[in-house]
Amino acid sequence: MTARWRSTAMLLVVAGLAIAATLTWQRFTARPIAEASRQWQEQQWLKVLPPGSYDNRPLQTPVPLTGAKLSHSHLLAGYRASQAGVTSAVLLHSRVQGYGGAIELVIAIAPQGRLVGVRVLEQQESPGLGDQLVDPARHWLDQFIGRTLRDTPELAWAIKRDQGAFDQLAGATVTSRAVIEAIQDALRYFDQHRPELLGETPP
Amino acid sequence: MNRFWLLPISLAPLLGATSTIVQALAISLCTILLVGLHQSLMTPLHRHLEQAPRLWTSTVLAAALAICLHLGLQAWAMPLAKQLGLYTLLLALPCLASEQLPAQPGRYRHLGLGLLGLLAAGLALGICRQLLADGLGLHLAALAPGALILLGLLLGLYNHLRPSNTASRRQGTR
Repeated sequence: MTARWRSTAMLLVVAGLAIAATLTWQRFTARPIAEASRQWQEQQWLKVLPPGSYDNRPLQTPVPLTGAKLSHSHLLAGYRASQAGVTSAVLLHSRVQGYGGAIELVIAIAPQGRLVGVRVLEQQESPGLGDQLVDPARHWLDQFIGRTLRDTPELAWAIKRDQGAFDQLAGATVTSRAVIEAIQDALRYFDQHRPELLGETPP
Repeated sequence: MNRFWLLPISLAPLLGATSTIVQALAISLCTILLVGLHQSLMTPLHRHLEQAPRLWTSTVLAAALAICLHLGLQAWAMPLAKQLGLYTLLLALPCLASEQLPAQPGRYRHLGLGLLGLLAAGLALGICRQLLADGLGLHLAALAPGALILLGLLLGLYNHLRPSNTASRRQGTR
């Protein structure tokens, strides 16, 4: 009986020590983890810009947005990337309803209204179909790079099935439509709010 | 869940987190580190614990170690931690499995050989998966089911190639 009690007491002591050590470790690592995840997030964001096209820390220079509810999507935030003091791109954080949930995109637009890059931050699309969006081998999002609202007419911002100009992801029509609409929304918003976004005072 | 299930379930991190060579090396080294730490903590406790409390102690320690490793990786090796995902937490399972080795002479030799085998299997799997997925464009190799198929093929190859004097007893006559 005593052996059993001793065993149980030992178990309790070890469990208590283990839990205490884990909690201490968690407190000790909390700050480095917060810092590391902030850096990680910043890196993910800035992959949308071509390397060497900015020399500020874009996420530290937010731009106020007005009327951020667009026709198909929602703008969550805007940031300004600049090189040698001149704005080189505006980053728009957009959320659009996809097939499996919200898709969060970061859309980079050059001052002339030209799309510089698109990256998916969050998505819950169907594995193998909609999530080809983030497949590094697919490059589906690359077909939008360099487009503007002027070289692609209003109705051509659609997949080919809808008489548009763009390829769709096979088996993921809803996802493809959502992303194209979000990009078109963001470009349209940029054209409408260009002076504020670029930080120019209106004449 | 009995102890025979622990070994197959311990394969989950090996299958899930070996899609590149770096990932495979990292998860294998983490496994060796965690099992080593777990053993070094459990060995002095063995005398003082009976069968049932020992199992509980082992579980609590494995969980605590896995959580600490997970947090440590996040704090100081974020890109690696993102690649490995939750699989570092599942490394508590190999710890529990290694605790099931009977206490007999040569126990640590067996454990060491097992861990080295795991490292070799992980690296082989990582190399094959990266080659097949990136080199040949075989998408299946990048996914976990592909890893299971590849591991089966690799083990089959190993069984076929290894010296037959140790194998014949278990494999029957050829």
